[in-house]
Amino acid sequence: MQEPMVLTPDEALWERLFQETRGAMALCYQCGVCTAACPWGLVRREPFSVRTMMRRAQVGLLDGDESLWLCAACGQCEALCPRGVPVSEVFQSLRERAWEQRTVPRGLSSVLWSVYWNNNPWFQPPSYRSRWARDLEVPRFDPEQHEILYYVGCTSVYDRRAQKVARALVQLLRAAGVRFGTLGNDEPCCGEAVKSLGHRPYFYEIAQNNAKLFADAGVQELITTSPHCYEAFQNHYPRFQAGFRPYHYTQYLARLLEEGRLRFSREVRLRVTYHDPCYLGRRGGEYEAPRRVLDAIPGLERVEMAHFGPDALCCGGGGGRMWLETRVGERFADLRIQEALETGAQVLVTACPFCMACLEDSLRGMGVAGLRVLDVAEIAAMAV
Amino acid sequence: MWPTGMSPDGREWHFVVCMKVVPKPEEVRVDPETRRLDRAGARSEINPPDMNALEMALQLKDRFGGRVSILSMGPPFFEPYLRVGLAMGADHIYLLSDRKFGGADTLATTYTLARGIQKLGPVDLVFCGEESSDGATGQVPPGLAEWLDFSQITLVTRVELDPMRRVVRGRRERPGGYEILEVPLPAVISVKTGCNEPRFMDYRLKPWAFAPERVTVWSASDLEVDETFVGTAGSPTQVSGLAQAPSRERKRIRLEGTPEEIARVLAERLRELLR
Amino acid sequence: MAASLYGPEEAQSAFWIYLEHEQRALERVSLELLSKARALADAAGWRVAGLLLGHRVEPMVEDAFAWGADEVWVADHPLLEPFTVEAHTAIAFQAILRGRPSVFLCGATPNGRDLAGRLAVRLRTGLTADCTDLRLDLEKGGVLIGEVTGFGGGIVALITMPNHRPQMATVRPGVFPLATPQRGRTGVVIPLEVDLHPEALRTRVVERVVGRGVDLTQAPVLVVGGRGIHGRFDLLQELASLLGGEVGATRPPVDEGWIDRERQVGQTGVVCRPKVALVCGASGAFQFVVGIQNAGTVIAINTDPEAPIFEFADYGVVGDALQVIPALIEALRAERVMA
Repeated sequence: MQEPMVLTPDEALWERLFQETRGAMALCYQCGVCTAACPWGLVRREPFSVRTMMRRAQVGLLDGDESLWLCAACGQCEALCPRGVPVSEVFQSLRERAWEQRTVPRGLSSVLWSVYWNNNPWFQPPSYRSRWARDLEVPRFDPEQHEILYYVGCTSVYDRRAQKVARALVQLLRAAGVRFGTLGNDEPCCGEAVKSLGHRPYFYEIAQNNAKLFADAGVQELITTSPHCYEAFQNHYPRFQAGFRPYHYTQYLARLLEEGRLRFSREVRLRVTYHDPCYLGRRGGEYEAPRRVLDAIPGLERVEMAHFGPDALCCGGGGGRMWLETRVGERFADLRIQEALETGAQVLVTACPFCMACLEDSLRGMGVAGLRVLDVAEIAAMAV
Repeated sequence: MWPTGMSPDGREWHFVVCMKVVPKPEEVRVDPETRRLDRAGARSEINPPDMNALEMALQLKDRFGGRVSILSMGPPFFEPYLRVGLAMGADHIYLLSDRKFGGADTLATTYTLARGIQKLGPVDLVFCGEESSDGATGQVPPGLAEWLDFSQITLVTRVELDPMRRVVRGRRERPGGYEILEVPLPAVISVKTGCNEPRFMDYRLKPWAFAPERVTVWSASDLEVDETFVGTAGSPTQVSGLAQAPSRERKRIRLEGTPEEIARVLAERLRELLR
Repeated sequence: MAASLYGPEEAQSAFWIYLEHEQRALERVSLELLSKARALADAAGWRVAGLLLGHRVEPMVEDAFAWGADEVWVADHPLLEPFTVEAHTAIAFQAILRGRPSVFLCGATPNGRDLAGRLAVRLRTGLTADCTDLRLDLEKGGVLIGEVTGFGGGIVALITMPNHRPQMATVRPGVFPLATPQRGRTGVVIPLEVDLHPEALRTRVVERVVGRGVDLTQAPVLVVGGRGIHGRFDLLQELASLLGGEVGATRPPVDEGWIDRERQVGQTGVVCRPKVALVCGASGAFQFVVGIQNAGTVIAINTDPEAPIFEFADYGVVGDALQVIPALIEALRAERVMA
């Protein structure tokens, strides 16, 4: 007879998940919609059973499972879950336990150390943070003079590709006469990478420090280039009495258009399709602002892909997966490029530096001609 | 199998890691007026190679038990940085701090650290990073071993401890190869930068790590040092001039020509760079 | 101030060079040091001596003379081969106390650093580490000025030790050019007595491997291929072998299955710190660049003049790596034949 397997439920884990999800964890009744919704099912023959993970979490049965790190926090399953289980939060709690048990994949500790010593998850010198704007003379934020803080974010200040977006946004804000400043080299990392990779206590420490830092700097409103920073500020900072109001820059541009401060005077004769970043769309609840900005550009034709808005397909870069390897053939962005091609668009537009990196990577990998990836800010800057 | 946490002579394993706090290299300037180092405003960090040394020691502790002591010589501001090591799993910090220790070169530094280690009592292994990013001399580990009359293995990427024979084996990297050396305990091990991935802090340990009693500060009189051997007084070398080196930024020089012409230039450059 | 075992007034006007050797040939850095010391000694009227420790080392004495030594102090004993820090420190210490040189130089190699670090403490003298230049100040009675860099190469300092002897320094390999050897030049051989006992030597060399087993993080040269080399890693391997380095790759060639994933360089691969990274046919995606940003020098070859990799390179070649690399292999081979 086979030796019976002894399973020891982890009461403490269950207790913790219950608290972290404010009880929502308990609501899962194992319908499996999550597994069906998960984009991993599109790239793997054997779908990633989110439902099993939820069940195991409920009874406190988890080991250092590789699948713990697959979740890109795209929110597809959460959007469809009939019981409103915050699945990606559950994953983050499980990852937190992996940190405690030191079963995290290679390379992730280094990412956290980089945030700790360098104030960014990209191993870049903190004193180089404002170099992206060396020749732009962007002033230091001063609440007396400026109406808004331009929070640039780690990827946009260091990644050469994303820097172009950061610079285009300066051009747009100036065209609209917005009085703004940045925190220069003192701009802190928002901690979203830390949170997504599951080190919650460190994220809380970062958020607490930043909430105070922004308050001391007199920040009332800020704009981000990355939906990841935006989502962290919007959804996870309020518990630290962060008194500022965050905008993703597309939201702010839409407001400037509405107020008549920003006007697009030049034609941009392009057929474009917009890719909703998960952290802006499903996680941030913003589908309209980027589309309103694009639609205000004269000459621009906008078409939708097969999946858009709340159904949009993830690029694969969320949930900390920017710092983890995704095998070839399993990259969601490949599918997204395919969808974009099917629309006949010349440009795949997005509004997130991670989407940009993943989509451009797939575009090059697939050797596709006749399609390029641009950010909403870059297209908009062509129109002023 | 030997009881966990004990070395064969019946006491707990004791691993010491020498660590220091350095300014971020790209933020240090030479003041053009005074010709002195301007560290003001420079962010500090734990010397990165020392993090690899600590990780190596902690892995031995994970496997064999015992305790890991962090030893550092420097001003009081080192303290909060070093506590990071406690949150990674080290047990205690010994900070050798005294104005008299200031201005120490390799000889005085190794002497002072050696006095600190002697005061710690029985020690099995002393780990150091292969070099410090501020001085980059890499001469502390052998100097320390000499003062202590310990054996040494430098530039190590892997260690194995044999508790029964009381020896340590290390893979020592050399240009174009490596050697496996075996030495008896106690020994000084210098650890190759980047050979392992330092674990991130365990935040459950943080409150413990930041409790005052985790740090012992020893002054010159605590260590009973011969004062002619410490600090500036004990340092044979003097800095007679300082200058800012050419920028660390990439040169971004474009090379042009036919593949053959470019190949010639590259071959020349490579020869210079790899001499 | 604590004094060294002998002082400036007792020191002989001589440069001593610790002669490192591998497989019965003097290491290049030792020849560089002989060349430099010869030039400094000629200007000052000093002597140059080599310290040669090992087993069956006589054939190398001739080379030491040819490159400028006036005398070679030789210790020949089975326990001096291969290098162990205890044995070499013990014999070097005795020899130095006998010869009392004013200056003692080693290459800043693993063995040179180990030896110098121990010796300096035993002699209670100073050590200027990893010098990039050396000068001799005769007005101050022969004070050695060592130029060193710190803070990742950002700061240059001049170091002296006026009151301690010998003035010890390790010198970075490659900073001094080789002199033309004078074949047939001779000098004095001074044999050293060796009184070593196996039990006094604590280090046991279990295994010694030359030219193998180098991992990417420790490789001195990294030749990295990207999408633009279309899988021709055989060419890169040939180049890497010629340069004593290893082959790495960006993500796309790994995806294509052209090369093992262990060789992927970058954020989700290996982070390296070679002296030279030669990046061929890679555009310079940010996640890749993170993996080579600590390289001493970056050389990039890419057909696209706008490729971001050129921003991160010291030398940029706009061209097809598949044309440049074969030409480079040819040039390096030709050079080897000449040498």
